Amino acid sequence: MANFNLRKAEPKDVPDILRLIKELAKYEEMEDQVLITEKDLLEDGFGEHPFYHCVVADVSAEHQKVEGYSVIGFAMYYFTYDPWIGKLLYLEDFYVMKEYRGFGIGSEILKHLSDTAVKNRCSSMHFIVAESNKTSIDFYKRRGASDLSLQEGWRLFRIDKENLLKMSAEE
Amino acid sequence: MDFTIRAATFEDCKDISRMILELAEFEKVSDHVKITQRDLEQDGFSKNPFFHGIIAEVPEHLKSREGHTKIGYSLYFYMYNTWKGRAVYMVDLYVMAEFRGKGIGKALMTKVSQLGLAAGCTQLNFTVLDWNKSSLDFYLKQGCWDVTSELGYHCMRCEGEALQHLAQGEL
Repeated sequence: MANFNLRKAEPKDVPDILRLIKELAKYEEMEDQVLITEKDLLEDGFGEHPFYHCVVADVSAEHQKVEGYSVIGFAMYYFTYDPWIGKLLYLEDFYVMKEYRGFGIGSEILKHLSDTAVKNRCSSMHFIVAESNKTSIDFYKRRGASDLSLQEGWRLFRIDKENLLKMSAEE
Repeated sequence: MDFTIRAATFEDCKDISRMILELAEFEKVSDHVKITQRDLEQDGFSKNPFFHGIIAEVPEHLKSREGHTKIGYSLYFYMYNTWKGRAVYMVDLYVMAEFRGKGIGKALMTKVSQLGLAAGCTQLNFTVLDWNKSSLDFYLKQGCWDVTSELGYHCMRCEGEALQHLAQGEL
């Protein structure tokens, strides 16, 4: 069992957070989609009005499996709102490096997040999973998560910047 | 039609609460609404709001059959996408039935886009029910795309007992 420590992310963790974001994007076969920079993460997460919160899992030097990396997992989340049930915790990204999987680190991160949700009087934790990611879907369903897209027919829609600009310029 | 779009205030919570229930009825799930006018006041208009709102209002002489001048709303909040950064999430968009087809819904959505862009967001995200054909058509016309269809992303939820168990580290 790897000895690890779960803690709130600090500004100095930003390079590692970006590294892990890119690793997760690679795992989802979308690494060319990551446009965010360290500067964005620093400004957006550690400024006066943070857009996100982050926890990291780190291991001490003698337990490192991959040389040079002590931050080996992270979760990024923020608080959102549902007009029917109120405050929610939204889990945006959740990732543990391959070499450190199977040791309960992911479960511990999820436990910490759920605890944060409950302490902040959130009635639910929401997140998105790609339907092709069977391992993750099983991981979450084992913990009582339900698939709203399947069960209730919710579809996630998006407008990208180009069309946002078009729309906002219309009278 | 003569209407204005403006930022919601504490005093609008009564009408927002009314319209949330109307929208829930339209979506056939009004028994799911647990949020009260008081919750909206606390969660949207205190020091650290969990959401922001905009209201569509008509002048007195155009008021609804039941005497309402506040006839549409949108609730939104800021979120984070680890690939692209700041994003805005539109939680609800609603116009009372007798005021539809006059460009009010589009004006509300345009306002959310403008506010999002001003805050440095590159995306507007929201969910739509798969049977809601008129809304699906409206959104596709504005240049939105269906992330659930194209990327296979499913909206997941962990709530109530499952969330409590997860917080306590139980499987």
